[in-house]
Amino acid sequence: MTDTAIDKIAQRTPTRVARKVRGLSDRAIAWLFVGPTIFLLLAINIFPLIWTVYLSFTNFRANRPNREVEWVGLRNYERILTDSDIWLNMQATAHFLFWTIVFQVLIGFALAYLINKKFRGNDLWTTIIVLPMMLSPAVVGNFWTFLYQPQIGLFNYIIAFFIGADPSSFEMIGSVTLAPWSIVIVDTWMWTPFVMLICLAGLRSIPDYIYEAAEIDRASKWRQFWTITVPMVLPFLMLAVLFRGIENFKMFDLVVQLTGGGPGSITELASINLKREAFEKWRTGYSSAYAIILFVTVFGLASIYVKALNKVKER
Amino acid sequence: MAEIVLRDVTKLFGHTIGVDGIDLDVPDGAFVVLLGPTGAGKTTTLRLIAGLEKPDRGEITIGGRSVVDETPAQRDVAMVFQQYSLYPHMTVRENLAFPLKSPILNTPPAEIERKVAEVAEVLRIPHKLDNKATQLSGGEMQRVSIGRALVRDPAIYLMDEPLSSLDAKLRSELRVELKRIQADLGATLLYVTHDQIEAMTMATHIGVLDRGRLVQFGPPREIYENPASEYVATRLGLPRINLLPTGLFGGAPSGAAHIGLRPEHIVLNGEGGKSATVTRVEHLGDQTRVHLEVDGHVLTTLADAHSTLDHGDRVAVTPHQPLFFDAAGNRVV
Repeated sequence: MTDTAIDKIAQRTPTRVARKVRGLSDRAIAWLFVGPTIFLLLAINIFPLIWTVYLSFTNFRANRPNREVEWVGLRNYERILTDSDIWLNMQATAHFLFWTIVFQVLIGFALAYLINKKFRGNDLWTTIIVLPMMLSPAVVGNFWTFLYQPQIGLFNYIIAFFIGADPSSFEMIGSVTLAPWSIVIVDTWMWTPFVMLICLAGLRSIPDYIYEAAEIDRASKWRQFWTITVPMVLPFLMLAVLFRGIENFKMFDLVVQLTGGGPGSITELASINLKREAFEKWRTGYSSAYAIILFVTVFGLASIYVKALNKVKER
Repeated sequence: MAEIVLRDVTKLFGHTIGVDGIDLDVPDGAFVVLLGPTGAGKTTTLRLIAGLEKPDRGEITIGGRSVVDETPAQRDVAMVFQQYSLYPHMTVRENLAFPLKSPILNTPPAEIERKVAEVAEVLRIPHKLDNKATQLSGGEMQRVSIGRALVRDPAIYLMDEPLSSLDAKLRSELRVELKRIQADLGATLLYVTHDQIEAMTMATHIGVLDRGRLVQFGPPREIYENPASEYVATRLGLPRINLLPTGLFGGAPSGAAHIGLRPEHIVLNGEGGKSATVTRVEHLGDQTRVHLEVDGHVLTTLADAHSTLDHGDRVAVTPHQPLFFDAAGNRVV
């Protein structure tokens, strides 16, 4: 009895509708799969970005949400770009960025070159060298403050041993001239292994027979290094520089833990300064503009760099 | 140009024997082809002469000078590798110019330009000079790799199956070209190949290697007509030499266990021949390959291009000046 009723309903249902209910079209299934991801992306990436752009033209303060928001146009941008203190932060960032990359590339490449030589226990050495990279930046920052201690710090003690001075005669973190270098040293210590690993991948990608051919072609080791090793590792090295550059442009945790931006604001990198403006002074509109400026800078530099990188790869 | 002398050269890779006590005299201006299956030690011999491997024992001299302790650069050899080994980040032009830019040679730029153009012309790659090495086909890569050896004027040339990856037409063209270049330069050339046509047409001497040992060395005709063993006899000749029990035909010298029959040793339908059945006929155009069965043994020979033999036909087989070998595979005369 019921069976026949169901059958009757089924028979009366137009086939077009039936097909729609039974199976979704491929396109609909595709949207179903991609939808949640797109929604999340919009909600936590795209919307905040657009909202930040909007806020950067206002005098909004997040600690006073009920205050009336005023449209200020380009005033935030104008104030930031003409503020000499901010230019000092930018200089500190540039100094940090430049020297960490220089040291990490030179030392990382040299280490990779040595590790790539076939010798006993080079896997063990690779593991040991890579260890700093695996630590938390906060931990690294914390224990380097101990190493930098003028009275009990191992770093001061070793340097003093070599230059024959008193360990407490200089302060890495406390001194205006040394503090910028103290953060460069720690970042180099921590992230050189990363550059080394990427260089190592590059070096290992060069087959032995290329060197054999060069040997037959009577190229000296020196010439082999400059005409084969360097050009063939260059794309890898440039990739490492890109990664380190972007990472260090937004460097925050390590430096905050180590120097807190001091002494004064000598090691106050742009990202630390930005955090102060946004979440200590609560100048939300102003810091939004600041964030946009930093974003455009990184994005612009990275785009130019990636173009150069692709050119090198094509070569 | 120079002669090469190897004395008791031995190279081990762990417990594997690469080359086992090789004695070899390559005269100045000779074109020596090394033959042998994979693992016979052909490539190792080249690498030892080039200086890419150090012998465990023995003496290598090039042009009368002992080179065992010298680097490849000091030995002044040019080598064509089997796996191309071009510099992938350089253009064809840069690849070809690379050996000339060695400070040892100190070639002026105009001279480099001229030589590169010349070699590119010979190898038919002038239109590819500005391509990157990675944008070439396998055959083009191999030509660049040959070119890199030819731009120089080394004491000796070493080539490891340089033509193996080329198509048949180009291979036969380059075969002639390489032979011409070698003859013009009067160069000493050591050449590894699997291809017996290359071996027979280009070589002034052939060295046959077996598991690291040099088993026979001599002019191609001698190697072909007078092989020292079954092993050497099977290296050359197409179709391969037929090896059958001596009892099948009779008339064998004492001690002989096998009779070796090349197609030219077989007379079909002669007087008093042994009866055989045709099992298959392959018309190759310029010749006809005939597969026969004699008392349960398979035999392959050649008939003329217009042969009318067919499957199931019966023919008489008569050996004509065949080769004989003992049970160990050594030649019995």
